[in-house]
Amino acid sequence: MTARVLVIGEIRDGHLLASSLEAVGAARACAGPSDRLEGLLVGPAAAAASPAFAAAGLASVACVADAALERPTPWAWSRAIVAAATAAGAELVILAGTAAGRDVAGRVAARWEAAAVTGVTAIGRAPGGRLRLSRPVFGGRATQEVEVAAPRAVLAVRPHAFPAPAPTASAAPATELPGGTGPEGDGRILGFEHVEGGAGPDLGDAAVVVSGGRGVRAADNFSLIEELARSLGAAVGASRAVTDAGWRPVSYQVGQTGKSVTPQLYVAVGISGAIQHLVGMVSSRVIVAINSDAQAPIFRVADYGIVGDLFAIVPALTREVRRVRGIA
Amino acid sequence: MEIVVCIKPVPDAETRLRANPAGTALDGEGVKWALAGYDESAVEQALLLKEANPGSRVRAVSFGPAPRTEEVLRAALALGADGATFLEHPAEVVPDPLLAARAVAAHLGRATWDLVLVGKQAGDDEAGLFGGALAELVDAPSFGGVMALTYDASARRFTFRRSVEGGAEAAEVPGRAVLALQQAWNDPRTAKLPNILKSRRATIDKVAWATTAGALGPLGTPTTQSVGFRLPAPRSGAKMIDYRTPEEAAEKLVRLLQEEAKVFP
Ligand SMILES: Cc1cc2nc3c(=O)[nH]c(=O)nc-3n(C[C@H](O)[C@H](O)[C@H](O)COP(=O)(O)OP(=O)(O)OC[C@H]3O[C@@H](n4cnc5c(N)ncnc54)[C@H](O)[C@@H]3O)c2cc1C
Repeated sequence: MTARVLVIGEIRDGHLLASSLEAVGAARACAGPSDRLEGLLVGPAAAAASPAFAAAGLASVACVADAALERPTPWAWSRAIVAAATAAGAELVILAGTAAGRDVAGRVAARWEAAAVTGVTAIGRAPGGRLRLSRPVFGGRATQEVEVAAPRAVLAVRPHAFPAPAPTASAAPATELPGGTGPEGDGRILGFEHVEGGAGPDLGDAAVVVSGGRGVRAADNFSLIEELARSLGAAVGASRAVTDAGWRPVSYQVGQTGKSVTPQLYVAVGISGAIQHLVGMVSSRVIVAINSDAQAPIFRVADYGIVGDLFAIVPALTREVRRVRGIA
Repeated sequence: MEIVVCIKPVPDAETRLRANPAGTALDGEGVKWALAGYDESAVEQALLLKEANPGSRVRAVSFGPAPRTEEVLRAALALGADGATFLEHPAEVVPDPLLAARAVAAHLGRATWDLVLVGKQAGDDEAGLFGGALAELVDAPSFGGVMALTYDASARRFTFRRSVEGGAEAAEVPGRAVLALQQAWNDPRTAKLPNILKSRRATIDKVAWATTAGALGPLGTPTTQSVGFRLPAPRSGAKMIDYRTPEEAAEKLVRLLQEEAKVFP
């Protein structure tokens, strides 16, 4: 039997997000050879972004070129998604687990009367054929296995959990769907501002995160952390000691009351490793700790440790990374 | 303004996690329960809005098993909520956030309210689905990642910022909206002892599961099932790098990241 899967792409500033390509990778990971993968893009850049999306392995891409959907509200986007899923006869909708993707997933599931699972890191089938998904819970301290007990499902996949498929030459048609502008009263997004220091990748989405803690001692010294992050193309995070002291804004905080991150590489500098910090980063693939105290609990969750003064180690590490990566 | 704040109990951050005997979910035995982190922010935000808009009322609503669900409601009352509704669910583990959204929607459908505040996700299942699903079911607009929320009473409009990849959006929404909070107050208010004592005697409106199940009909069946709960093998401890100079430490680390861990970007 042919299953139909609808993959939702997300466009920011005219560009398709890398995590949307990973969502296609996730769809391919669970699709059989006869299954049909379709895509949906919304907003004025939809048609322009559709070839790159299709090249990840989609049979067709539906575009809703409505200018009102450039930065869609969850209300308007969920309506476009459910309309496209219904038109495609899909039984599975896959989204990237970005902030916007996770925001809309619950709405889509309720509207489409489907099951929903977020934070998905692996997709398989249980012996009876039900979808079976793995997802980190408790800040990555455990993994839950969930089975879908409904005919339809919405999945939001965790960033970096699935590889983006290598692009193929694709002749997938882009089809035009009518606009689904929400009624007055669904709210408006008035504007967007980049966060200070937000030139690098976003914390929640970054493949590499470098975080600084109280060991950095002063706001000005935080530039050491930022230079190391820049050399690695990493996002910058912080412990709560840093945000409480006002050295960096709360948006940098990693942990129980901050962000949960799951990068490929997490570098903790001058961070002791309190449980409230650990719950936000333990499921990172590889953890490096730099701390002057050999007994610091962060070394218990780290893969590589350097005991030493961060003011000596971090500049040397930044130089070495720049040298190896050929950055002048 | 009538503000509803939806909250839930989660295991305290220090809980030692272990699977239940069937290996399908967290073992709740001996767990200390606490108000979920973002829900604590939602309560704080609700109380701040109430203080800024005299005449407002805050009602806390929670769906889950006794007694812990009632306890978080009492915690919200002690912090300053004016009323609390306990939507009872019989199972130890609430099967899925969509069911919780349906249960709360069935209840809210009959009430008047201007704003529902929820935490953007709970620290246990980290699903982040509840707010959006609830909004859809009660036919209201919704936004997630909400910070710096204010209410313009003359225009009956909420304005706020919302955290998105790479920055923040400014947004506004008219009344009768569902907003999921991102903001973490590092110093939310704490309950004063007399209020804690008073909250112990406060009446909590209770809705029996049979009532909710009757209202939901077939939609009262969970759509997902937790079938496994695994703890990662403990990391074997860090490989500590020996070095004489910072340069040597840096070289060795970069080499290990490239050749052994294969994560060097
Ligand atoms: C309810 C609650 C929620 C919380 N939420 C969070 C959260 O979300 N995120 C979070 O991070 N914390 C959170 N905390 C706080 C947490 O408990 C810790 O207090 C905090 O993480 C400590 O930050 P730190 O590691 O930077 O500071 P410290 O614990 O003070 O550690 C500083 C470290 O720097 C090292 N150091 C000092 N000088 C140097 C040097 N020159 N070179 C190298 N190393 C050096 C020290 O050896 C030490 O290990 C929360 C706490 C509570 C109670």
